[in-house]
Amino acid sequence: MPDATSAAPRPRKLGHRTGYILLLGDTRGLCRLSDPSGRRPRSRARSRTIWEVDPTISLGMTLLAGGGVIVGLGLLARGLLTNRSTIRVGDTSTSTISSMAAGEVRVSGIIEPAELTLVSLLQSVACVYYRATVGRSDDTSAIDTGIEEERSIGFQVRDATGRIRVFPRGARFDAPIRFSEHGGVLRAGITGLTIRTGPATRTAELDREAAIAELLHVRDPRAEDGPVGLGDDQSRRSYREARLEIGDAVTIVGRAIPYSDLNDPVASDYGSEIDLLESDPEVAADLAEARASGTLAGDPATAWGNAAIPGFGIGRPASTPEIDPDASRLPLATDAQAARAAQTFMIDPEALVLVSSAEAPLLIAYGTPGVVMARSESSYAMGLFGAVLAITSAMALAFMINEGFIDGTSLFGGIGP
Amino acid sequence: MTLPQLVALFAVALVLLIAGFTALTSYNAVVALRQRIDKAWANVDVALKQRHDQLPNLVAAVRGAMTFEQDVLSEVTRVRAAYAPTAPIHDQAVISDLTSSAIRSLFAVVENYPDLKSLANVADLQNEIERLENMIADRRELHNDQVYRYNTRIGQVPGVLLAPVFGWRMREFFAAEPAESADPDTSLRPT
Repeated sequence: MPDATSAAPRPRKLGHRTGYILLLGDTRGLCRLSDPSGRRPRSRARSRTIWEVDPTISLGMTLLAGGGVIVGLGLLARGLLTNRSTIRVGDTSTSTISSMAAGEVRVSGIIEPAELTLVSLLQSVACVYYRATVGRSDDTSAIDTGIEEERSIGFQVRDATGRIRVFPRGARFDAPIRFSEHGGVLRAGITGLTIRTGPATRTAELDREAAIAELLHVRDPRAEDGPVGLGDDQSRRSYREARLEIGDAVTIVGRAIPYSDLNDPVASDYGSEIDLLESDPEVAADLAEARASGTLAGDPATAWGNAAIPGFGIGRPASTPEIDPDASRLPLATDAQAARAAQTFMIDPEALVLVSSAEAPLLIAYGTPGVVMARSESSYAMGLFGAVLAITSAMALAFMINEGFIDGTSLFGGIGP
Repeated sequence: MTLPQLVALFAVALVLLIAGFTALTSYNAVVALRQRIDKAWANVDVALKQRHDQLPNLVAAVRGAMTFEQDVLSEVTRVRAAYAPTAPIHDQAVISDLTSSAIRSLFAVVENYPDLKSLANVADLQNEIERLENMIADRRELHNDQVYRYNTRIGQVPGVLLAPVFGWRMREFFAAEPAESADPDTSLRPT
């Protein structure tokens, strides 16, 4: 039976120089060649020892050091970028909504819904923003490469003095992760995973009939596969969802402008573009010809029927729709409901709204200003730590090259000791 | 260049990068803070001007009925006339506080005249001036908070190192000394 020790690679004497090493990780394959005379070296300059290292250990240490440089630089870059938003949040004072003036502002308050709310992808929770990520399967045979979906919708923020509407287009979100689960070995159902099966939006305020209908709606769990690719093999994926929900405290830094200065409502105002088009005689003639031939309907009601009635799509028609006699009729809004709806839907043109702009991009962060600042500052501290890590790793890498653990020539094209 | 020199260069570059970034962001932050202070002050000024414009309407609306309270009206008129938008911030703060105090006295007196209080235009003017008073208070708070942040930033490292280079100086709060804007003595002590 062969001797185990004789099978191990024997240290070879490569020289008479002695060096010092930072022991990183597994050092079982690292051997220090002893000086035959048994004396300790007096100085680095006078004698050095060449280390012989198991090639796999050498490669591992090199990768570790190289990875340290890359990770450190990544942390530093992230910390420096975060520092910009930290300064922006920290140096802007919180304005009260009732006395707010136009311009760059910071608002802190509670999220309230506007007309609609989102339904989150993975947990079907009413929210105003979500970022859902379905990670790659552990099973290498799976073809799924992961899904990421991020959506937001307009909402209101309320403080002690009033409310302001937020248009989140172009905003940067800092939302907490509310759901994070991985598939188990047994492939059992994942607790809390309720993949959205219906539309991505719903009315913010359910009336009694709608709430009853929602409660009485029986869902077939076998059919709840959700969007394509999410429902099957749940246990083999990781699921993560960050959300901003109704009632969350948020801090928003952005630009306050009068609602009438917002481009979107004008551009999306139904019918306005038709008026503009018809002012052009040539286009008007084409439109008239299309109407005459029946290609183009004369008015929205003719073209879309009930869908052309304002409020029909959200169950609050402004006029009585024509419905099949067998269909259940939705009640018309009462005066109080109509007034509340008008307050929600009809924004005063002079009312200030929060939007994103090139010079003041919108930042919507979860928590009070103090919490947001603390989070950002810790990220900046991590960035500084990253710089230290990168420098240390670079030193370790250089040391290994310098001491001959790895071939510097092949790594850096001739740069070496 | 040897490898140790290369690593040293890398370390120095990183340190310089962080230092340069910190100096640059501090400079930009201070410039942004100065702009915010100017904007906050302009917003305070707008509210002060609106109040200044509304006061004559209120005085004119109540003057006829308040025949025995001419001193209160005179005080409102006097402090209104002292409003000077180009005056230093401190002086404007003193006048603003005195105006607010005179308005509070006027509102307190109006409470004694139910017929006057029930007039729609008086009630509207009262509500509008109260709204402006609240707005001035909020915007003043915002302005002072921005000044506080600015003064703190240029008083701390690295701002304190950059301040002499760029000539940054502490800004003034929109505030009066308590003695300068003291409320009128309403106690029942014999004078």
